[in-house]
Amino acid sequence: MAGTGKAHLRNSPDVLLRVEDLTVEFPVGRTGLKVNAVSGISLDVLRGETLGLVGESGCGKSTTGRAIMQLRRPEGGSVVFEGNELTNMSLADMREARTRMQMIFQDPISSLNPRRKVRDIVMEPLTIWKRGSNAERATKVDSLLSEVGIDPDRAAESQPHQFSGGQCQRISIARSLVLDPTLIICDEPVSALDVSVQAQVLNLLEDLKAKHGLTLIFIAHDLAVVKNISDRIAVMYLGKICEVAPSDGLYQQPAHHYTKVLLDSIPVPDPEVAIHKVAIEGEPPSPVLPPAGCRFNPRCPAADDRCRSEEPQLREIGVGHFVACHHPLVGGDAPVSVRSATSA
Amino acid sequence: MTETTEFTDAVTHTPGATIDDQIDARFKRVRRRRVPKFGVLFGATFLIVLLFLTVFADWLPFIRNADTKVRVNGKLMSNYKLGPGWDAWWGTDGNGFDVFARCIYYARYTLWIGISSTAIGLFVGGALGMLAGYFRGKTDRVISVLIDCLLAIPALVLAIMVVRRLDDIKLDFTFLGWMSRLWQIILTLSILAIAPLARIVRAQTMALREREFVLAGRSLGAGNMRILFKEILPNLIPAMVTVAATGLGILIAAEGALAFLGLGLETSWGFMINANRNRLEKAWWATIFPCIMLFLTVLSFNLIGDRLARRFDVREAAV
Repeated sequence: MAGTGKAHLRNSPDVLLRVEDLTVEFPVGRTGLKVNAVSGISLDVLRGETLGLVGESGCGKSTTGRAIMQLRRPEGGSVVFEGNELTNMSLADMREARTRMQMIFQDPISSLNPRRKVRDIVMEPLTIWKRGSNAERATKVDSLLSEVGIDPDRAAESQPHQFSGGQCQRISIARSLVLDPTLIICDEPVSALDVSVQAQVLNLLEDLKAKHGLTLIFIAHDLAVVKNISDRIAVMYLGKICEVAPSDGLYQQPAHHYTKVLLDSIPVPDPEVAIHKVAIEGEPPSPVLPPAGCRFNPRCPAADDRCRSEEPQLREIGVGHFVACHHPLVGGDAPVSVRSATSA
Repeated sequence: MTETTEFTDAVTHTPGATIDDQIDARFKRVRRRRVPKFGVLFGATFLIVLLFLTVFADWLPFIRNADTKVRVNGKLMSNYKLGPGWDAWWGTDGNGFDVFARCIYYARYTLWIGISSTAIGLFVGGALGMLAGYFRGKTDRVISVLIDCLLAIPALVLAIMVVRRLDDIKLDFTFLGWMSRLWQIILTLSILAIAPLARIVRAQTMALREREFVLAGRSLGAGNMRILFKEILPNLIPAMVTVAATGLGILIAAEGALAFLGLGLETSWGFMINANRNRLEKAWWATIFPCIMLFLTVLSFNLIGDRLARRFDVREAAV
C-alpha cells in the first residue's frame, strides 16, 4: 500500500478540490527526525460528491483534512480548491478562501467555546466577515438552527454545556453552514456520539448536503459509518493511500489486504454468523521510520520481497477502483515495472 | 428535511434521571465533607462586613474619626490609657487615637492598594501571558525570560528602590509629582504581581489554544486578536479571578510588611503594628488588633481563592 501515484485523479471540469502529493511532517523535538504524518497523498473530489477518508487512528486522516484547510501548512504538494492554489496563498487570501470550505470537528463539545452563548457561536462567522445587517444575520442563524433541529430561542440563552453531544454536533454543523461554503470537511463528526445519535447526525448531513449543494469529505476510522454516506472512499494507512474505490465496489470487492482487514473488523450483529477473519498482527509501524517498500508489508499476509523493496503505485483494477498493492485480492498482480527490475 | 432533524437527542430527556440525582447527591455529600463550606462563608462575610464598615465609616455613629483623639469626661486618653471596652472598643494607642477606628479607616488604604496592584498585575501579566502562550516561539521565549527576571527581583530591594530612590528622583523630575507614597507602594506590588499572574495565564492559554474551538475559530477566518479576545480570554477569566483572589491576600500581607518596615504608608495596619509593638506587654490591644485585622483579611482572601481554585479546577503548579 502505501501507494503513491495519481492514476485515480480525474480530469473533469467538475473537480472542486484536487490535492496532489500532499506531505505533512512534524519534527520530533530537535532530534532531526520527523513524523511522516502524510506522505504524498493525492485526492480529488467532484462537486456534489462525498469522499470518505478511512483508516485507523494515527494514519494521517485528520492531518490531511487540516492540511487541506491550510490550518497547518503542508510541507509539500499542492491543494487546488475551486481553481485556486491554496498552498502558496498569502495569509489574508487564505482567510478569505477558508470561508468557502469549512470543518466539523470530532469532539462536539470541545469545538464550541464553553463560555459563549450558542447563538453567538453560530453567528460568529457572520460577525467576523461583517455580512448583512444584524437583523439579516439573526434571521439566517435562526433558520439554520431550526434546520439542524435546535430551538433558536433556547440557543439564544444557553451555553454549549446545556446541550447534549449530539445537539452540540448539530450546532457545529449549523455554524459550518453559516457562510454558505461549498466544501465541508467532516473530521470524525460522529465518532464521539452514541450509535443512535450517529444515525441522526449522518442523516442530517445527507439532507443538508442535498439542500445546500455541498461537497463533503468525510473522515472516519469506521468503515461502517462511511459506507452509506460516501460516493467514493479512499483508504489510508500510515500516511499513504492504499485503495480508492466507489463505495459499493469497495465493500463488495476489497482489493487491498488492509481494506479487507478493516471490513472484517466491522462487527456483524448476528451471533450465528461464522467468523472467518484475516487477522493482522501487531501495531502499525512508527511513522517516524516507516518501512521501506509498501508501508503495510510488516503486517500483510501476502507480503513478499518485492513488497519490502518497491513501493506500489495506485493502478486501476476495475471501473473507478484503484489499488496500490503488488498482490491485490482481486485484479491480478501488479506488472513488474522497470524501476522495480532495476532495484531488485 | 426529514423527521430525523425534528428529534432532539434523547440524552436530555432521559427519564432515569432519578438515579443520576442520587449519585449526584452522594457525590456532593462527599465533596461537602471534604471541603468545609464554612471557610468560604466566613471569608466572604468578613470581607463584606469590612468593606461596608470601611466605605461607610464616615456616616456610622459608632466609628470615631481616625484622627480624633479619645476623651473621656474631657480627659485625653493618650499613652494607652484606655483598654478594650465601651468607650473605645479596641482601646486607645499612645497618642490617644481609637484603635478600632484606625483599623477600619486604614483598611481603605490596604484594600485599595491590594485591589489596584492586583488589577495592574492582572492587566500587564495577563497580556504578557496571553501573548506568550498563544504565539509561542520567539514571543514566548522573550516574555518567559522577562518573567524569570521579574521573579528574580528580591521584593524588599525593589521596595526600597522604588520608595526611597523615587523620593529623590521626584525632586528632579517634577512631572513625577503625582507619584505619592501610595502609588509607589502600588507600583512595587504590581511589579511583584506581574510574574506569577503571567505564568498562570500563559499555561492556561497554551492549553486553550489547542482546543478545537480555537481551531474552529481560525477555520472561520477569525484573526489572532479576535481569537485571543473572543475565544481564549473568556475562558481565562475563572483562572484569573482565582489567582487574583489568592494574590490579593499575598499582596495585602506584603503591604503590611512594607509598612511595618517603614517603607509603606503611615496610614496602614503594618505601621500601627510597628508603632505600638514596644508596648506589647502593657498595651497589647494596640498591636494585636491590627495584627488580627491583617491576619483575617489575608485569610479570607486565601479561603475564597482556595474555594475558587477547587471550583474552577485551577492548578497553580501548572508550568
